Amino acid sequence: MAIRDEDIVTIAPKPMNRLESVYLPEFFRGFGTTMRHFFSSFGQGKTSRTIQYPEERREHYKPEDGGMEPSNFRGIHRLNRDEDGRVKCVACMMCPTLCPANCIHIVAEESPWDDREKYPKKFEIDELRCIFCGMCEEACPVDAIELTTEYDVVGLSRQEMIFDKEKLLSIFDVTIDKKPM
Amino acid sequence: MDIIPTGLTATQIFISLPFIAIMVHVILGACAYLIYIERKVCSYIQDRVGPNRVGFDFGLKWLSFLKGALGLGQPLADGIKFLLKEDYMPKSADRVLFTLAPATIVIPAMIGFLIIPWGGYIDIPDMSVPLLGDIGGRVVLAGANFNAGVIYLLAVASLGVYGVVLGGWASNNKYSFLGGLRASAQMVSYEIPLGLSLMCVLLICGTIMPMGIIEHQVQNGWLIFAHPLAAILFFVAILAEANRAPFDNAEAEQELVGGYHTEYSSMRFALFFLAEYMHMITSCAFFTLLFLGGFHLPAIPGLGIEDTSIVAGLLKLGVFFTKVVLLITFMIIIRWTVPRLRYDQVMFLGWQSMIPLGMVMLVMTSVMVFYEWTAWYELLAANVVLTALVFLVMPVLPKNKVNKRIPMYGSRFNPMPGERVETSAPGGLATEDRPVEGTVPAM
Repeated sequence: MAIRDEDIVTIAPKPMNRLESVYLPEFFRGFGTTMRHFFSSFGQGKTSRTIQYPEERREHYKPEDGGMEPSNFRGIHRLNRDEDGRVKCVACMMCPTLCPANCIHIVAEESPWDDREKYPKKFEIDELRCIFCGMCEEACPVDAIELTTEYDVVGLSRQEMIFDKEKLLSIFDVTIDKKPM
Repeated sequence: MDIIPTGLTATQIFISLPFIAIMVHVILGACAYLIYIERKVCSYIQDRVGPNRVGFDFGLKWLSFLKGALGLGQPLADGIKFLLKEDYMPKSADRVLFTLAPATIVIPAMIGFLIIPWGGYIDIPDMSVPLLGDIGGRVVLAGANFNAGVIYLLAVASLGVYGVVLGGWASNNKYSFLGGLRASAQMVSYEIPLGLSLMCVLLICGTIMPMGIIEHQVQNGWLIFAHPLAAILFFVAILAEANRAPFDNAEAEQELVGGYHTEYSSMRFALFFLAEYMHMITSCAFFTLLFLGGFHLPAIPGLGIEDTSIVAGLLKLGVFFTKVVLLITFMIIIRWTVPRLRYDQVMFLGWQSMIPLGMVMLVMTSVMVFYEWTAWYELLAANVVLTALVFLVMPVLPKNKVNKRIPMYGSRFNPMPGERVETSAPGGLATEDRPVEGTVPAM
């Protein structure tokens, strides 16, 4: 779209006076700023916000100090189990429909149990495609899929990063103490 | 001052050869750790932590107490990384020049140290050694001691531009070539103010021997206080000579493809990288020699010209090296303080500000030296007068307006008669200005 004249704001910088046009006084002011930062963060001083990651983690800090707020952190997914240890998902296809990254793939089948009609025969999440928006968690009518606080997930291949049903259920087993349902 | 024999005496060779052998390694190690200092200082200025993981434990259990160690093992790890990387050469590159270029930039940077009188005079007791015969007497604790000292350093320092041009040319890549051209134009331009301010110092000292310059400063005070304008000019010029920020247009990391060493990888790239730091050490040693009194510290006994024991020589070497390292740290802090100049600003500063100022300064200094007004307060007063004169004359001088905005045909700065047409479906958002006359350049 062409730029209209009425949209143009002309900003003319003030002409420099003689002292400014030598740049040296301004240079020394900038030098002062640099040195202030240098000495205040020397040896991880008070202005340094670095977290030494493998030893310190975001969980160790309060949210106001740059730490993690576990109640709304969106990490890796898990599939919840119900009281009998069965997968809670009813394969209603809400989450793959809503998923903006198209990373959830469900194959539904008739349920072997009496209390529901369907259950997921296959449930796969491509964690590399996932954008961790948390929409699946919002959409789920039975609270079967949830995002945990785990964020340091490693895989050596793309195939390895496609989590299947067993993997997602095992994440539930690991994280149930940290984040109860 | 007493004249000592210059050139290749047997006693000087006896000192020079081991001194060069040690100093080369000291400088190379210093280069590696300068990169570490640069990264540390940079990260503290940016409120980060910097390298702090690599220690000297090499993954061994029994060395685990050396783990971490403030990241002091980082230069070693970087060096190993550079050595083990693939040494890639573009297919259409000039093989000979491509190989030669890193050497052409490192060698001039390294041999400049030869004449820096790190330790001043030392006395060697009379003795007899094989091959050299009888030696003894007063020599300079330096790589060499010859008449044309400062001129040699200047000549060698300007050879570094060959490596830059060759590196850019041999890569057979237009971006490398442009980077090389920019760097060489800049380095050649800033030789002139460098030489002009150097000439002021040589006029005041009346000698071109490095020891003579230091002796003059020991007797009459450091020249940075006597002639601050020359010192500032010289410092800016060596920043530009060493391709350091704010004059690092040749390899502006954030803006260009990479400058003259785009096509280089592995150890060849590391040589270019090290050469920059060697240039910094050489030029800072040069600055210390000319303006900061070399190894001299006022009010501290045992560091004068006449203390010629070997211990005093090593102490003076330490003082000299400390001054150089502090100066380099200052250069590093400048890099993280001052934004990079645009290329036309670099050229403007060089040709229209520093060279005229240097010439006026040279004339002023020659007049002062002719009338023998060379005490430090006289020179300082002349500096103040010159600065005031510059401020008075500057607004009167005719100004060449740079950075003119050339309006593009049909743009909002150069509106042309035409029609506004809809290019999308009716009611769409996109409209376009289409001048009727076609594209002819604006007058």
